[in-house]
Amino acid sequence: MKSPIDNIVIYNGYPLSIIVAVGFHGLLLAFLLYLQTARAPEPLELVQPSVIKALFIDENPQVVNEKNVQRQRQERTEQQRVAREQEQRKVQQEQEVAQLQEAEKAREQERERAALVERQQLEQRQQAEKLRQEQEKRSTEERERQREVAEAERVKQQQQQRLEQDRQREGETSQAAQAEAARTELELVQSATALIHEEVRKQWSRPPSARNGMRVIIQIRMLPTGELIETKITQTSGDAAFDRAAEVAVYKASPSFRQLAVLPITIFNANFRSLSLIFQPEDLLN
Amino acid sequence: MTEGISPIDLVLDASGTALIVMLILLLLSIVSWVMIVQRWLVLSSAARNLLSFEQRFWSGMDLSQLYKEGSQLQKADNVQLVGMENLFRAGFKEFMRLRQQASVDREAVMEGAQRAMRVAFAREEEKLEKHLAFLATVGSVSPYIGLFGTVIGIMNSFLGLATQTQATLQVVAPGIAEALMATALGLWAAIPAVVAYNRYSTWVESITSSYITFSDEFSSILHRQIHSD
Repeated sequence: MKSPIDNIVIYNGYPLSIIVAVGFHGLLLAFLLYLQTARAPEPLELVQPSVIKALFIDENPQVVNEKNVQRQRQERTEQQRVAREQEQRKVQQEQEVAQLQEAEKAREQERERAALVERQQLEQRQQAEKLRQEQEKRSTEERERQREVAEAERVKQQQQQRLEQDRQREGETSQAAQAEAARTELELVQSATALIHEEVRKQWSRPPSARNGMRVIIQIRMLPTGELIETKITQTSGDAAFDRAAEVAVYKASPSFRQLAVLPITIFNANFRSLSLIFQPEDLLN
Repeated sequence: MTEGISPIDLVLDASGTALIVMLILLLLSIVSWVMIVQRWLVLSSAARNLLSFEQRFWSGMDLSQLYKEGSQLQKADNVQLVGMENLFRAGFKEFMRLRQQASVDREAVMEGAQRAMRVAFAREEEKLEKHLAFLATVGSVSPYIGLFGTVIGIMNSFLGLATQTQATLQVVAPGIAEALMATALGLWAAIPAVVAYNRYSTWVESITSSYITFSDEFSSILHRQIHSD
């Protein structure tokens, strides 16, 4: 009379129904996951919508000037180096020529002396062997002394040359250190300008009246602590709302300018005490 | 934002209110499915028992014999009797007990048996209708829970939009899709619950109406018996 199903119902069927329900949901989840993995390898073509970026054109005249000065300085040092090398080469050539001439002269002298000795020999052939030997001895001594002198001179010249080269090398390394310092300074300036631009760009919300080709230049003055003292519109775009939006962006971004306080005061004074920011929307659709 | 977002990603990437709402809905769905399966088991077994007991009842078997069989089954096999048999046993037991007392008149015996059957019927009906209210609640409430999650999610994605300089669809689209996922889950939990509730309530109705018919028939048999003496 009683079927197995009824025995299940004795426990009101709860264990079985819980298993069935959880299993059903698990199956469904597994199916969705399977669909996902099956769909994943398909190359999906994504149409990139035209995202509109607020473009901010960097035309900071101070930075440009700084770069120019830097380039000129580098060019000048390069020229100086080339000139010095040429001079050195010339000096070396001259020294070589002088050495050659001296050697020639010495050889000539020797030849003359030999001739003299021969003549004396011819005249004094009868004279004692001893004398001749003495003379010969003297002449060899003389030759040796000359050689020694020449040797000493050459050594001295070499030393001088080495010294000069050392001095030159020292000069070059100090110049390299200067260039290095200039480069880090430039990097600092660039990172600080990037910071300003990024912060201002983030805060910049353009009014609906913004159009391509509009351009407003705002001059800002800052304290070395990074505090904003004043903003001034030096070139208006002609649209008051656009000008105001740019100015508001600068004011909103100004708390983050405090980070400029870490800059060395010289760099700050040279670059950031007063700064021009150009606001120009580039890629609006209209 | 990666390409090819699937519903699973939306659920996994959800955060805050949307995630809580989705978890609640998932739980409701699982529980309502437990109820659906359990009710199906109970109701189908009740319907089967109803048929088999009616067959036995109308087979011409002696009623006291039928009652003894039931008690034996209950004692020896430790089987819980369900449905119509309980009705029969309650009525028959009360009837026999009252008839043995000489002081009780016939009408009182009939009334006592009918009352006992009514009580048993109420108990059986309660057993059958258990959890149906839960299914009805899930069916009517879970779309609202999903809608709540959606509204909160869309609100959040619009709040996120407020901080953007340029409003693009890409900024809001994932948030809105995620929010809509909550409504989808709410409907997902509600639809089976509503269907099951409607189906089971008609089933329960038909079973209880056959109980009522049986108890009427049985009381007419008892009536005949008590007046034949």
